[in-house]
Amino acid sequence: MAQIEIRDLGIDYRKPKSNEVFSAVDSVDLSVEKGEFVTIVGSSGCGKSTLLMAVAGLVDLTRGSIEIDGKRVDGPGPDRAVVFQEASLLPWRSVRGNVKFGLEMQRWSGGDLNERAMQMIRLVGLGRFSDYHPHQLSGGMRQRVNIARALAVDPEVLLMDEPFGALDAQTREIMGTELLRIWERAKKTALFVTHDIDEAIFLADKIVVMGRNPGHIKEVIKVDLPRPRNESILDSDAFHELRKRLRAHLAEDMSSMQLVQEVA
Amino acid sequence: MRSAEITAEPAEARQLSLSFLRPSRSAMIGTLAVLAFLVLWQIAPTMGWVNGRFTSRPTEVLLAAIDIFQNDDFLYHARISLTEFVAGFALAIVVSVPLGVLLGTSKIARHLIDPPLMALYIAPTLVLLPIMVIWLGIDMAPKIAVVFLGAVFPIVLNTMAGMSEADPKFLRMARSFGATKFDIFTRVLVPGSLPALLTGLRLAVGRAVLGVIVGELFVSQAGIGYQLNLYGSAMRIDRLLVYALIVSAFGYTLTVIVRSVENKVRDWRSK
Repeated sequence: MAQIEIRDLGIDYRKPKSNEVFSAVDSVDLSVEKGEFVTIVGSSGCGKSTLLMAVAGLVDLTRGSIEIDGKRVDGPGPDRAVVFQEASLLPWRSVRGNVKFGLEMQRWSGGDLNERAMQMIRLVGLGRFSDYHPHQLSGGMRQRVNIARALAVDPEVLLMDEPFGALDAQTREIMGTELLRIWERAKKTALFVTHDIDEAIFLADKIVVMGRNPGHIKEVIKVDLPRPRNESILDSDAFHELRKRLRAHLAEDMSSMQLVQEVA
Repeated sequence: MRSAEITAEPAEARQLSLSFLRPSRSAMIGTLAVLAFLVLWQIAPTMGWVNGRFTSRPTEVLLAAIDIFQNDDFLYHARISLTEFVAGFALAIVVSVPLGVLLGTSKIARHLIDPPLMALYIAPTLVLLPIMVIWLGIDMAPKIAVVFLGAVFPIVLNTMAGMSEADPKFLRMARSFGATKFDIFTRVLVPGSLPALLTGLRLAVGRAVLGVIVGELFVSQAGIGYQLNLYGSAMRIDRLLVYALIVSAFGYTLTVIVRSVENKVRDWRSK
């Protein structure tokens, strides 16, 4: 059986100040194998982040179910850790203090705690910066801390919500390669939300393409590019082929969006 | 200011410069202005521009200060005022911090108490002074009460704001790691609201000093405010000014101390 099983998932929101119900995600079925790197791509408003937050246990399900290793998700758990879009680092804690946060929640203490945190900080390449505070770090470094904090608790599944969305293109590319290096060593199942097509292909074993109104899965694409990967695959024919396919999907979404705007 | 200098100068020049011996321009202008004012103040009565009986002179104020510290039971009066201040302020902290935390974490409590609290914060609590005197007499008690009333509201309101305005990003992050309500309280809300609490303390200092002095001016048998009243009715401008300076110096120093702690704690927020 797959590690993550999502069956007929639906998530509705009630719009604030009205009784209108808005369906963010509907009829989503998805299986993710252990150790698989899955990227979820789609234009904004397609419910990709909502789907991820549901797996994290931070959003209530309206219909269907999510199981991880056969256990139903009904809240956050130590088997999952989230890397948020905004680094969400506690500004009064140092890099080390922030990486410790999740471990503290799992009641680690003393020397083990410290050692584990430092190990993760070194893994993401910030060994020299463990005593810095978030405001002293660049955006890319903050996201490294964000990733270290999630990896520290040794989750089965790593959930990433556009972690590089706010970074400039070059940093983003470096971080992508770096993430693959870390992932290949940590061997975690990964769900990675992005709206960047190249990023989605570069990282993935499997790409989940989502569409809007309500958020649903349009296609699941297997990516057979060899690993370990580096920037050179960006120019391969297979990569171009995948990029074309994804572009077509997103263009479809865009035109339907424009239509809605014209009607309105 | 300093960073502009550094970038403007080449590296070698920077190493040799003795800029620390050269006071900054703003400090120099400030000192000159004060000196000019003191000179003007000293000569104005002699030149007949003002009546020295109403303005006194810097030299007279200095002599009065020396005399007050030597012969005026200064320490006795200062101790009374300080006791009133510390007692009222401590009481305010003990009450307002837990209350602010409660209001900051409970929406229901906030909706219930926020409007009257706001009204009391805006209303000058000194208007209650006559009532405090009727209830508590003319000793230290009514002054302690007025200090308490002055200090309690800014601390409550700022603590409450710091608690309730916690960044939802942090709450979500904490929850994702399985944080309990208690974890969130101790590790996210409390450290996050510390700067706001300190802001409350700083604002409270001014109101508390005012409470002590006005309370003593109103009715008292001892204290700095009592002395102010005494020398006011005796038209001893020099002594009046010494006491006024002592009061401002006290309030100023305390505010500066709290602010420096506040800035240190807030450091991570800047930038």
